[in-house]
Amino acid sequence: MIGISHVSMRLTAGGRAVTILDDVTFDVPAKQMVAIVGPSGSGKSTLLGLIAGLDRPTSGSIRLNGADITDMSEDKLAQYRRAHVGYIFQSFHLIPTLTAKENVLVPLELAGFPSADDRAGELLAAVGLGDRLHHYPVQLSGGEQQRVAVARAFACRPSVLLADEPTGNLDSATGEQVMELLLSLQRDHGTTLVLVTHDPFIASTMQRVIALRDGRVESDDVRHPAD
Amino acid sequence: MFEFKMAWRETRGAWRHFVYFFICIAIGVGALVAVSLFASHVNRAVTREARGLLGGDIEIRSSHPLSVGGERVLATLNERGIATAHISELVAMAARHGSGAPISERRRLTQIVELKAVDSDYPLYGTLVLDPPHSLERLLHPEGETCGTAPCLGAVVQESLLIRMGLSLGDRLKIGQAIFLVTGIVRMEPDRMANAFSLGPRVIVSREGLQAAELIKPGSRVRERRLLKLPEGTLIEPIQNEVKERLAADSVRVSGYREAQPQLKRFLDQLARYLGLIGLTALFIGGLGVAMSVHAFVREKMRTIAILKTVGADTGTVVRVYLVQAVCLGVLGTLAGLSGGVLLQAALPSLLTDVFTTDVLKQLGVSPGLSAVSFLPLVKGALLGLLTTVLFTVWPLLAIRDIKPAAIFRRDIETMSAAERGRWWTRWGLNDRLKVLTGLAVLIGLGGLSVWQAGAWKVGLLFIGGLTLAVVVLFLCGTFLIGGLVRLPKMSSLSLRYAVGNLVRPGGQTVGMLIAIGIAVTIIATVSLVEKALLRQVGDTRPVDAPTFFFIDIQPDQTTDFVGVVERRTGGVKPELTPLVRSRLHTINGETVKVDEDHNADDKQEESKEDRRKQWYLSREYVLTYLDRLPKGNEIVQGHWWISGDTGTTPLVSVEEEAAKAMGLNIGSVVEFDIQGATVAAQVASIRKVDWGSFSTNFYMILSPGSLDGAPLTYVGTIHVPPAQEIPLQEAVVAAFPNVSAIHVGDVLDNFGRVLDRLSLAIRAVALFCLLAGGFVMAAALAATRYRRLYESVILKALGATRTLIGRIFALEYALLGFIGGTIAVGLSSALSWLVLVYIFELPWSFQPVVLCSALALTMGVTVTVGFLGTFRLLGEKPLAILRHE
Repeated sequence: MIGISHVSMRLTAGGRAVTILDDVTFDVPAKQMVAIVGPSGSGKSTLLGLIAGLDRPTSGSIRLNGADITDMSEDKLAQYRRAHVGYIFQSFHLIPTLTAKENVLVPLELAGFPSADDRAGELLAAVGLGDRLHHYPVQLSGGEQQRVAVARAFACRPSVLLADEPTGNLDSATGEQVMELLLSLQRDHGTTLVLVTHDPFIASTMQRVIALRDGRVESDDVRHPAD
Repeated sequence: MFEFKMAWRETRGAWRHFVYFFICIAIGVGALVAVSLFASHVNRAVTREARGLLGGDIEIRSSHPLSVGGERVLATLNERGIATAHISELVAMAARHGSGAPISERRRLTQIVELKAVDSDYPLYGTLVLDPPHSLERLLHPEGETCGTAPCLGAVVQESLLIRMGLSLGDRLKIGQAIFLVTGIVRMEPDRMANAFSLGPRVIVSREGLQAAELIKPGSRVRERRLLKLPEGTLIEPIQNEVKERLAADSVRVSGYREAQPQLKRFLDQLARYLGLIGLTALFIGGLGVAMSVHAFVREKMRTIAILKTVGADTGTVVRVYLVQAVCLGVLGTLAGLSGGVLLQAALPSLLTDVFTTDVLKQLGVSPGLSAVSFLPLVKGALLGLLTTVLFTVWPLLAIRDIKPAAIFRRDIETMSAAERGRWWTRWGLNDRLKVLTGLAVLIGLGGLSVWQAGAWKVGLLFIGGLTLAVVVLFLCGTFLIGGLVRLPKMSSLSLRYAVGNLVRPGGQTVGMLIAIGIAVTIIATVSLVEKALLRQVGDTRPVDAPTFFFIDIQPDQTTDFVGVVERRTGGVKPELTPLVRSRLHTINGETVKVDEDHNADDKQEESKEDRRKQWYLSREYVLTYLDRLPKGNEIVQGHWWISGDTGTTPLVSVEEEAAKAMGLNIGSVVEFDIQGATVAAQVASIRKVDWGSFSTNFYMILSPGSLDGAPLTYVGTIHVPPAQEIPLQEAVVAAFPNVSAIHVGDVLDNFGRVLDRLSLAIRAVALFCLLAGGFVMAAALAATRYRRLYESVILKALGATRTLIGRIFALEYALLGFIGGTIAVGLSSALSWLVLVYIFELPWSFQPVVLCSALALTMGVTVTVGFLGTFRLLGEKPLAILRHE
């Protein structure tokens, strides 16, 4: 499903080269729930961004559903994301000028989804925001904003959901609600989930935990949450 | 459809941002449409009223009465059902006669007038509006009133005559030997040539009146016009050709109504064309505002764009979203501009009213309302507005390509992109093929719009070339001067340091504001500089001994008495008398001069300038004189002046340089003149350069003494007198010689100044739209950086700065911006006015400190005012509320 092969990422900051990811290799089978953990600066978010095709690795390749996305053009990648990838950010990244419903509508409309309007309404109802459809992000709490982001990520029924510390900006109770929601939707849709987290409890709910340190895979622990 | 939905959502959320975008387009389109609508209405009216403007279907014009044979030709036309009217036009002096309203010091006893004698059939076309609204016939033949011992002759006059002479209806005027009762006021005269210059107010009298005045003597300056009205359905051209042929011996000019007003039409067309180009400048300045708004908007929307790309929007989709948004806003701005233009065009005629002797626009029935002819200007205005929007939007939208979805992770997303930190060519995208090609396409597009608006390739390309050059100069000088501010030694004044800091900060759009305001001020200052130079040329450079009066139509038998009267009145000042006679060219080197009278105005457009010049020289009337010595201000450039006192056997002629060049005359060429039916052939002996600005009597053709013996000569007398003697001298001459007209040079120059002033006012009024657009561009730029300014001002406040200090920083910043922009604009306008004066008007350029300082002050006034209006509310913001949100 997701194949990461010898991926490295180097950036130049302040005139010197910094290695963010260093020869990372692993595969994620379909429908698996994976947590990527590690200290700050270990390259977790960068890796997630590379899987989504938001940036290109310096070397190595990334395959998604059998297609190599490292050679795809910017626009091809956008189309690919539209069809296959949902993304949840730590800081929500809703478009501030759009209402909750319109934020969910954006990917649906981009994909030319039939009855997009109804689907956006249903999704927001499913995340418990059926009565906040026409509120702007600024009128919503952090938890509500993240639920809108979750609804947006699931809008096009993606086969891969990437979540970058989805509860990082939320208090623990709200974070728990959002995680419950995310996992139930993942179960319902049968989505492959790759989640970056600092939270050991959230990591423990995943089927597999990959730990990064200084840009390298430190450990790759496959288990069952029930364990 | 996603693009439309998203565009609407984005606009709804950021409408404040787009207010300026909208206004910038609306101002430009408004100015353009107002000018185009006005031009098309005038054009239609000139075409519609062509018969009325000529006064008939065909006009036969000459500077002398028709021969007996000619009169017979007209009589045969009458028999064929063709109506004729006889009109004589000449300049004459009117004097108060008998009692009237009390004479105040400022009222004149005598006044030069443009006299028109008409017969009972006048006018054949158009309406003569009189007050009281009686028939002209009745007003020109009043019953029951006596003037002296004879029954009164009536005269209807222009109101300005009554005002100048302090007369009212019922008072009497003496013109020539006749006394006239003023019976009415001419409110509108259909066939008064729409000239910018007139020598005096109109007086209309009957033909009997003209005869009684005894003004027409041999050689008098008179324009005889015969107007023909053909029966309905008759073709004009055959009759026109027939008349031309049958009256060939009378050396008359025959013209049909279609070609009657080419000068008026061309003048209005050209005025509209140049005003239109200034309107287009306003639109392009507005376009700059659009580009700056879009640029700022894209920067502001980087995160949104990155999110859109993250959720699967490709670059093309995002560009289309913002392009759709820009086009929709462009449509709205254009619609507002169209409505504004329709309202504005009503104001343009009032600016131009005084340009003409008569209220030509009212006479033509130019109405400010909309009609079928408004359609084309409205459509053109709409297209220009929309295309300008698109062209100015495309370039800044290209930046969307550079926004990577990964940018969403970066904290410094709203600071500077890598491209902006690079070398200048990278910053300007010169290493990016698409950007370079787009830039070229935009320039070609703008060039296309300019050519379309100008209606001529050359003018349009010159316009866009000049504008591009001005933008480049403003950009380079602006960048250099602002860059220079950074390198200045550390300033001790805190507020000045911060003000400079605000100007030089990247992303502040300082140079954009400079360009927008600089272009507007450059146009206004250039117009003022050219106007000042022209006025200076005709007024201030007048030699101290330039004549005060030209006395015209002095008969040969009056010369001795005239000199006597003048000497007595002035205490011995002797007037200079020059003999003259009117003529037309008959042959050049034995070939008959063919005057192409049939060409219509449209054909004329196609002709080259040289052809038009040649036609003008061949067809014009020449005032001939004979002189023994080369006059002052003349210089022989080829050949020799004849030997003084040697009358010779062959008449010789000295020709003015430009005329000789246009007509291909060389030393030895033979020119034959037609002097009222008699011909005089003369050999070109010399070619002269003439200083036309010398205010002396200058001539294109000067003949050798004896050449004009027997011709119906009259004399023109010139004299310089001190102002106190002017009115007494004029009155004495008019009293002694009623047929002599006194042309006051000062009045003529005042007239010229007034016309120039009105034209310049009309141009500046349209140029004001450029300034308005420039002001809004600056407002848009300030709005784009509003949050940054707000944030900085609250931090300064939090650190203890007072509102006064922050206000001073802003004021200094705007004043500095105005100073830099104004200085560049002043330099540009000086260069531009130099080009116009030296190459178009062939006049010297001079330094005009008052105009230049005013332009500088105007720029600083605009920047400080717009800046103040844009930022004064920031001063009142409470720091905590702002900082808490950070």
